[in-house]
Amino acid sequence: MDFPNASMSRRGFLVSACCAAASPILTPASFAAVPGDNRFVTIILRGAMDGLDLVQPYADPLFAKLRPRLALTTDQGLIDLDGRFGLHPAAASLMPLWSAGELSFVHAVSTPYRDERSHFSGQDALETGTLQRNERSGWLNRALAHMPRQSDRKAIDINTSMDLILAGPNRAEAWAPQSDLAMAEDEIRFLERLYAGDEGFARVMAEARNTDLLADAIHGDQKRGEGIADMARLAAGLLSQEYRIASFSINGWDTHVDQRPQFARAVTDLSLAINTLKEGLGPQVWGKTVVLVITEFGRTARENGSGGTDHGTGGAALLAGGGIPGGRILGRWPGLSEDQLLDGRDLMPTGDVRELAAAMLYRQFDIAPDRLTTDVFPGLSFDNGSGYLRG
Amino acid sequence: MSISVPTLAAIRYGFGLRPGEPPPQDAQALLAQLPPAARAELRFPREGITGRRETAEKIIALRRAEAKATQNGKPNARLRQTTQQQANRLYRGDAVARIAQAVTSPYGFHERLASFWADHFAVNADKNLQMFMLAALHEAEAIRPHLAGPFRDLLKAAVLHPAMFFYLDQNRSIGPGSVAGLRNGRGLNENLGRELIELHTLGTGSGYGQADVRAAALILTGVGIDAPRLDIGYRPQRAEPGAFTLLGRSYGGEGRGEADHRAMIDDLADHPATARHICAKLAGHFLADVPPPEVVAPMVAAWTASDGNLTEVYRAMLEHPRAWQVGGAKIKRPFDFVVSGLRALDMPEKQFEAMMAAAMPQPDDEDEAPRRPKKNAPRHRNPGFARAMTIWALQRMGQPVWRPTSPAGFADDAASWLTPSQLAERIAWARMAAQWLAADREPADLLADALGDAAREDTIRVLGQAPNRVHGLAMVLASPEFNRR
Repeated sequence: MDFPNASMSRRGFLVSACCAAASPILTPASFAAVPGDNRFVTIILRGAMDGLDLVQPYADPLFAKLRPRLALTTDQGLIDLDGRFGLHPAAASLMPLWSAGELSFVHAVSTPYRDERSHFSGQDALETGTLQRNERSGWLNRALAHMPRQSDRKAIDINTSMDLILAGPNRAEAWAPQSDLAMAEDEIRFLERLYAGDEGFARVMAEARNTDLLADAIHGDQKRGEGIADMARLAAGLLSQEYRIASFSINGWDTHVDQRPQFARAVTDLSLAINTLKEGLGPQVWGKTVVLVITEFGRTARENGSGGTDHGTGGAALLAGGGIPGGRILGRWPGLSEDQLLDGRDLMPTGDVRELAAAMLYRQFDIAPDRLTTDVFPGLSFDNGSGYLRG
Repeated sequence: MSISVPTLAAIRYGFGLRPGEPPPQDAQALLAQLPPAARAELRFPREGITGRRETAEKIIALRRAEAKATQNGKPNARLRQTTQQQANRLYRGDAVARIAQAVTSPYGFHERLASFWADHFAVNADKNLQMFMLAALHEAEAIRPHLAGPFRDLLKAAVLHPAMFFYLDQNRSIGPGSVAGLRNGRGLNENLGRELIELHTLGTGSGYGQADVRAAALILTGVGIDAPRLDIGYRPQRAEPGAFTLLGRSYGGEGRGEADHRAMIDDLADHPATARHICAKLAGHFLADVPPPEVVAPMVAAWTASDGNLTEVYRAMLEHPRAWQVGGAKIKRPFDFVVSGLRALDMPEKQFEAMMAAAMPQPDDEDEAPRRPKKNAPRHRNPGFARAMTIWALQRMGQPVWRPTSPAGFADDAASWLTPSQLAERIAWARMAAQWLAADREPADLLADALGDAAREDTIRVLGQAPNRVHGLAMVLASPEFNRR
């Protein structure tokens, strides 16, 4: 079966049918005019999420040939999205978002990272936004400096250590759900004095103090757990207050062997994270939120000999939130035939995941496109006519 | 500010000062630790190397029999559960022992190198049942005996080990054109080939490509675990036939066989990019997040001159003046923080060993829930407390023993570990330690024990005015200089 490239926009973005008719036609400028209390969440799926398993091109008979053991049918629970693609059953709890136009998928995207297919270099490229190996700051950190409104520059990594995406010269924080700075006021003052002469410690102590107060209020008397839902709940709580940007990671996507159960578990985690964010933010804030879910690269189009898939190139991203062009499968679908695959093995990347990130930064925070293509994502091709900004 | 060489030697190149243990006097003394340390007794695996191989082989055999029974429609859920619990318990016991080993060993430099190399050749105990039993074995028999000799011996021992094979799916990798591959359609798994090049030897960005990764994986086909024994063996029927080119050299072809992968590993060990990669990583671990090129260059030269002898590489680093420059550029990782904290506390041996025993899995706890403590038992004998001070602390701080989230090991830079959340965890640990393990001590004495002449004037002054003794003690361990090296 051929995939008709029917609804291609200027840059060839395939837009699936679900909500196109219902959504108002918005010009790029109207996105940029949103008042300044938007929220932005990045979720990094570490280990290379198999986009072809999450959003399966099930109407293409080649898919089942490439993946005799992994491809699902609607009889096996695959959830049809638009007649061509189907959603993995472990993501069923996301369907209300899809129907409400608060969820989209982007197929066949990647960073410019090619050939070596290493998780670590792939994640470095994803988080630094460049292929410069000596770059030690993350794109989300660099973006902070270019946000016109100072109040938007409040970012937190939900983690005990700082992930690369938010590491860098601009102030960002890290706080884990289980962390607690339970001490008397005078004891805290003494620690502040202890750290006064050490710039790094003084800074993180000040941040710890502030975040701890907010986190105490969010947790209330609930148990402080370490799970995915705890991370999402804390992120939502902080974003409901003064924070505008949050980031966390979900592991468990490196499915070389017996992919089926492992992938279903990871997708359940991801669905839980997104639903918990929505619930924690409440309808009003959720309406101003964009959740960007990205991974270092996709996996091989063919399943391997161990019931899994190996490192690939073109992958998938997710957008969720009230502030996105929702209910769509974005991206230009490259096809699955031998000559359409990259090196005869991977889904051909047809879009740059950094452009998607740039579009969301532009949309949420009015960062000037020329900043996005120089400092944030050096060398990226992006402007306010990007297909990712079209509703 | 100046800090004496012995203090720096203990803090920067060991797990910190420990009362009653004379610090190494100089570079020579650090290097002199290596031969006796390799012969010293090791606390893990707890049944010893031979004992662990026997236990693990037995449990794996039980599981294999159960898997067969399941195929015949007779699954044994109870057996699956008990073997999983046994494996789990072995892991948790080893993890506690790993911490105790680093605390009590007088060979701090050797212990730090063991941590470095176990991290370089990272395996993850979480991978499966086998790995819960083998992660400790990997460090004990593949890493520690080889960390002071030729790199290529260490490389072969660390890579050609059942733990690495389970972790990186080598057992699942079958030459697609081999007898076995053609028979059952199973295929190649590139994991081990990729990490061998990217992480263990050449390093990323050193000029190899996907074709090299694939060639390495193909050359490795045929090598696998010689079940039911936990040994590495070679099965020609799984080996991809033919000749393969890796970085311009050819392997296999006529006489394709067992020697091919060994020749490849030796060539990768000898490659100049490997020397550069490893020397920079060592300097990055011990000296500064961005490895000082003036130290890396003589390390690489020593590597070349000595044919990859690691003691000579360490010597080149330690004999460079930059190695003794004061600055505290490195933030201790969580494991180093906890171990150096336990060393500084100077618990009586009996009390320390009782706490380690309490942290071990208990006969009656089948899961993570700690046994209810006996009434009036001292705190250090309380399993929940003992674990909170050791394995659980590392879990919370993000560096659980032998469970890195990727084959690249744990992060090793200040940006990753100097964060508000990390600081909160360390303060909490310091407060627990101060309250329950050191409450009868004077903060100034603990400061002298923990930091010697590395204590800052600021810290001495603030401690002198602390609002209470416990907080004073906690501030020693929470101080910037105790968390830097």
